[in-house]
Amino acid sequence: MEFLGYVRPDGSVGIRNHVLVIPGGLIAEKVCAFVPGTKTIAMARSGGGMTSRDRETIARTFFGLGLNSNVAGVILHSGSPGSGYPELRTERLASEIARSGKPLATLDVDAEGGTLEAITKGVKLARKMVYEASRLRREPVSIGRLSLGIKCGASDPTSGMVGNPVVGYVLDRVVEAGGTAMFGETTELIGAEHIVAKRAVNDRVAEEILQAVGFIEERALATGEDIRTMNPVPENIAAGLSTLEEKSLGAIYKAGRHPIQGVLRYAQRPAAPGLYLVDSWMGPNSIFPGFAASGAQLTLFQYGGGATKRTVLDPSPAVAAPLLWTSANPATYARAKESLDFYSGTVIEGTETLEEAGERLLSLIAEIASGTLTRGETIRYTEPIEAYGIDPLF
Amino acid sequence: MRHKRGLVLNPRDNVANVLEEIRPGETVELRLDTEILSIKATEQIPFGFKMAIADIAVDAPVIKYGEPIGRASQPIERGALVHVHNLAGARGRGDLRTKGEEKL
Repeated sequence: MEFLGYVRPDGSVGIRNHVLVIPGGLIAEKVCAFVPGTKTIAMARSGGGMTSRDRETIARTFFGLGLNSNVAGVILHSGSPGSGYPELRTERLASEIARSGKPLATLDVDAEGGTLEAITKGVKLARKMVYEASRLRREPVSIGRLSLGIKCGASDPTSGMVGNPVVGYVLDRVVEAGGTAMFGETTELIGAEHIVAKRAVNDRVAEEILQAVGFIEERALATGEDIRTMNPVPENIAAGLSTLEEKSLGAIYKAGRHPIQGVLRYAQRPAAPGLYLVDSWMGPNSIFPGFAASGAQLTLFQYGGGATKRTVLDPSPAVAAPLLWTSANPATYARAKESLDFYSGTVIEGTETLEEAGERLLSLIAEIASGTLTRGETIRYTEPIEAYGIDPLF
Repeated sequence: MRHKRGLVLNPRDNVANVLEEIRPGETVELRLDTEILSIKATEQIPFGFKMAIADIAVDAPVIKYGEPIGRASQPIERGALVHVHNLAGARGRGDLRTKGEEKL
């Protein structure tokens, strides 16, 4: 199966064609307000007062988004408060992004003479970059050039029964074709980690999986609270999920059947294609941009929604990558039809087999990769994002 | 007459998920791969919730996906609703760790 994508100088393939202005902040926002075809990041944390490992996570998030193959060109400015730290210096971020060979301009705010001057220069750079990006053309490539990042959320019993297995089927097909797939949400492996660890490609990776889950369970125990009062969340319980173990065992179906090649840190880019676990928190405004920084061109939200009343679903927090919403719950479909990209409840209703639904979703993914919009891309809204910080703030 | 439907996900399971709203006394046809089990519900079971397909004693494991999802906290009858009132999770129980110690 093929799609039409933008082949970048480093051989990676983009499904969109953005110009990225990073880091976020006033300068980036004003440049983006002036020039269509640009995107920036809305994130409160800039690295200030954070530990070195959390600053490095933010750095990976910034240059990972710049490296994402959906990004045709990058404008990197020095105006972020965090750019005084070694991990977050403009030159460091630029050297990482420069590896891709894509158009890259750095904007030195002081050298330009100040904020307003930097905005003016940024607008000139961005206009040129989006014009040049518009001259690029898509070409046919295999779906094996895709990297997908998936999350399940508002889980209800349809998630484990049908919704997640359909996504798992799609991941299997993409990985078989030579592609990459990532899943995360470490808390929601508790109760199922022995199953996931058995899928590790070797003992070292199995041990890393168990350690990641052990670390988060220990943190939960140290709070002195019953995790059932935190996760599963109230809407999971209202919809019929009874324990964290039940939720986790249903959640892992979204990862398909392939061996897990490794455990990635948040926003870490895998060294080779395949299936990966990203040690991460379940919040969508965190996990999706993390996947995009890890290279995902497309993110997926497998949505239960059994006990929620939402009729409009959020646009993508992944900044560089669109978000595809899928659900197997008939009530969710009836309520939020215009926001769902895919409905797999046909398998519950008995009008489709799991494999048929999986093939249909894979075809939709190829269409979206070729330029068809996700429903979220028809909404203008900037999602605030949050890189996954582990340590306290100082 | 068409029966109400449900799914058993694994041959080792002692619960099934119902695929529609079940009223007490209704017979549910539960599909496990190609096999069908017919079980009468003893109480109301909402869409997607769990029904016991065997009697489960107190403290016995409740099995779904072929794995333990917790233990019965009450005796559970075949055909009954299984949820937080009679099923207790075992993991992440920070509340049990501090039990017996003085809480600050």
